[in-house]
Amino acid sequence: MFKWLSGKKAEETPKAHSLDLEELKEQLKTELNVGTDLVFRTMKRDGEKLIFCLMSSLIDSTRLDDIVIRSILNNKDIEWTCESIAKVLPMISITAVNQLNEVVAGINEGKVYIYAEGQPYGILADVEKTIQRGLEKAETESLVYGPKISFTESLQGNMNILRHNIKDEDFCAEDLTVGKRSKTKAKLIYIKGIADEETIQTFRQRVKDLDLDYVPGTTVLGQYIESDSWSVFPQLMTTELPDRISIALYRGKVAVLLDRSPDCLYGPTSFFSFFESTEDVYMRWNMGLFLRMLRLVATFFSVLLTPAYVAVLTYHYEVIPSPLLLSLGESRARVPFPPVMEALLLEFVIELLREAGARLPTKVGQTMGIVGGIVIGQAAVEAGFTSNILIIIIALSALGSFTTPSYLMGTAIRIIRFPIILMAGLWGGIGIMLCFCYFIIHLLKLETIGGPYLTPVYPIRLKDIGYSFFKLPPQYLSFRPLTNRTDDQERFSKKKAKQKKDVDE
Amino acid sequence: MKVNLHPKEGLLFNAFMLAFIINSVQVGVGLAGLPRVVYLEAKHDAWISVFLAGIIVSVVLVFMIQMLKQYDSADLYGIHVDIFGKWAGHSLNVLYMIYMTSTFFIILMNYVEIVQVWIFPTLPTWQLSLVLILLVIYAVYGGIRVVVGVAFFSVVGTIWLAVVIFVPLQFGDFTHLFPIMNANVKQLLMGAHSTTLSMLGFEIIMFVYPFVKEKQKAMFFVQMGNLVTTLIFTFATLISIVFFASNSLEKTIWPVLSMFKIVRLPNLERFEFIAVSFWMLIILPNMCFYLWAASKGFSRILRRKQKWGVWIIAIAAFAGSFFIKTRYQMNTMTDLVAKLGFYFAFCYPVLLAMIVFVKKWYKRRESKHAETS
Repeated sequence: MFKWLSGKKAEETPKAHSLDLEELKEQLKTELNVGTDLVFRTMKRDGEKLIFCLMSSLIDSTRLDDIVIRSILNNKDIEWTCESIAKVLPMISITAVNQLNEVVAGINEGKVYIYAEGQPYGILADVEKTIQRGLEKAETESLVYGPKISFTESLQGNMNILRHNIKDEDFCAEDLTVGKRSKTKAKLIYIKGIADEETIQTFRQRVKDLDLDYVPGTTVLGQYIESDSWSVFPQLMTTELPDRISIALYRGKVAVLLDRSPDCLYGPTSFFSFFESTEDVYMRWNMGLFLRMLRLVATFFSVLLTPAYVAVLTYHYEVIPSPLLLSLGESRARVPFPPVMEALLLEFVIELLREAGARLPTKVGQTMGIVGGIVIGQAAVEAGFTSNILIIIIALSALGSFTTPSYLMGTAIRIIRFPIILMAGLWGGIGIMLCFCYFIIHLLKLETIGGPYLTPVYPIRLKDIGYSFFKLPPQYLSFRPLTNRTDDQERFSKKKAKQKKDVDE
Repeated sequence: MKVNLHPKEGLLFNAFMLAFIINSVQVGVGLAGLPRVVYLEAKHDAWISVFLAGIIVSVVLVFMIQMLKQYDSADLYGIHVDIFGKWAGHSLNVLYMIYMTSTFFIILMNYVEIVQVWIFPTLPTWQLSLVLILLVIYAVYGGIRVVVGVAFFSVVGTIWLAVVIFVPLQFGDFTHLFPIMNANVKQLLMGAHSTTLSMLGFEIIMFVYPFVKEKQKAMFFVQMGNLVTTLIFTFATLISIVFFASNSLEKTIWPVLSMFKIVRLPNLERFEFIAVSFWMLIILPNMCFYLWAASKGFSRILRRKQKWGVWIIAIAAFAGSFFIKTRYQMNTMTDLVAKLGFYFAFCYPVLLAMIVFVKKWYKRRESKHAETS
């Protein structure tokens, strides 16, 4: 009965725009309701009329004046037809169109539409001006060691950086459009022959299938194309470091760049790859191994310490040896709350400090840190709100969570602490263990672009553990990670790497 | 119903994982009380009994794998139907499902009891059992891949407890072990029989077999898994005998947990609190596998979604937890399940294997006969 309601409206058939200049203007004005942004410039010569239609906010006016208008004015003797004008324009990207929707789309992209009255079609010439900031140091993923250049908001610029990093003929960059209305440009990047065809296809399909009006950035795009949106754990990585992308591409990953987004999305990324920093790669392998282990241990303790404190002090104080119990009891003697309350309160304060510090300008942010760390911490203990030991524990676990190179993963780790603290307050060690079991199952269930999330630990890939869990000396990493199912498995000859110069030479 | 089960390629797991599966499903609540129950039968030769039981299990596993190898990719549900026909086969399937459900239930209740005795005496049974059941349902909902993963992480995450169990050895008295082989064969066999509850779990191989990728390697890894279990059990029993005095071992219901009390680190004492908590990770794969295998029956026999089976079994187990109120009932139930397990996991599969061999042999002969005539 209501079939006509659900049925889609018939697509508008494309139609050629009016041949009359005044009507063309009217048509464009109604299509693009942008007021004075839409500029028309008409030239006349012996009754012939030539019109330039453009969006003043999108074009580079010097390029328009110097290249387009000047070359037409200088060549006085040419006819005002499409072909002859195209001949004199010293530009690469010129298209001939006559459909109204194409013209509108072109103007919207920052092209100028040149049309001589009475001609069957006109010319779209690209004089786009992109707003682009200069290249800067990476901010969210700051590094001590290694290249520090970071992506900017311009797709063109980002491609330029990546292209300079990878001069590989097999480097592929497919065009994609994201957003049904916003029509944001995107690039699907991979290295042919290394990346798994299936992974590429999954990425391509998931991005193409999106039926959204607008996607604000790659981080949001990642949320749309990942498998489990309910989970707190990020399943795809975004990074602002071009070299990180280059490394990942050569390991067989696939990346997506989005215009106007300073991050690059790439995958498949397993749980442990969120704890990798590019520094691990640039440093000597033993240093890298140490730092990576440090990060994993820090993360583990960051999740465990506070709940353990709560569980032990609420239920299992027998676990603490008596000398330690004395000092613990002493510092907690004045605290009127149960340990759960105490821990939650302090965790809340730390989160407040972090959030306030992130929102404020750098200079004020530092003051915040001092105020929070010293003043509130000290005062809270003296006022008998918390115990000294809890302050140490909370500070340690906050530090631990900040060692994670991925900001998203760090936040996830801070968030999962809260339910564990609550369960520890409820059921002590049993509660903590319940949460741990839950998270193990949860992580087992997650996947990243069709691949398992906990690889290389489960399903176990002993060879890959040298890549993402531990770090091995470079001569042992002659293969690409198995989990990425790369087509070209070998990075360099294993035999050659093992040749030693010793007494047998 | 099809005899053979052909899961999707993505659901298969490596044969290597079988070692983890067998090991993790065997090690469970039974281990906590194992040394005592064996000691009651075989006295200070209990560890020999345990080792003997391990060997028996490995023989039973040979029968099981050989039986499974007769088929392309079948599980016990399929084999039953193939051998006994639709009705008898399905009745046996239902019996097996009931057995696995009751094992699931007993593991759950035993763990809840351990928690109540060691940590929270006032914790209501239904609360912990509800949360544990929900946790297991969450895992089983992920399918075989997640369940195998749980088994893997259970082994990896708790193997260090096996090292900790050697700590009490420094307070042990090795003279407790002598004279070796003092018990007669009957006592040893009775001791081996009493390990049933702890050794149970290996029968899961008859249900996960279709999901193994390299089926020809299954035998090796299954035996490896059983070997590790046997070694852990034997050492746990041995250490308990060495550590406890004779009459105190007879009175200690959970000797393995009691031994953890002695472990002392500079900043941790009373290790059993941690051990009991960690025991959850040990029993998690047991419960997951039993629930998974039992609910698999629903999809195999009734051709319903496995989710239905999961919920029905889970609700039955949860409801059952209200009926057990005293230690006495608990004991009776556990003994009953142990007895059931002895027949269902030890005796019956061997018998069934024999029948399968005979049938296959008969069929082969018949087809050869048909060719020649």
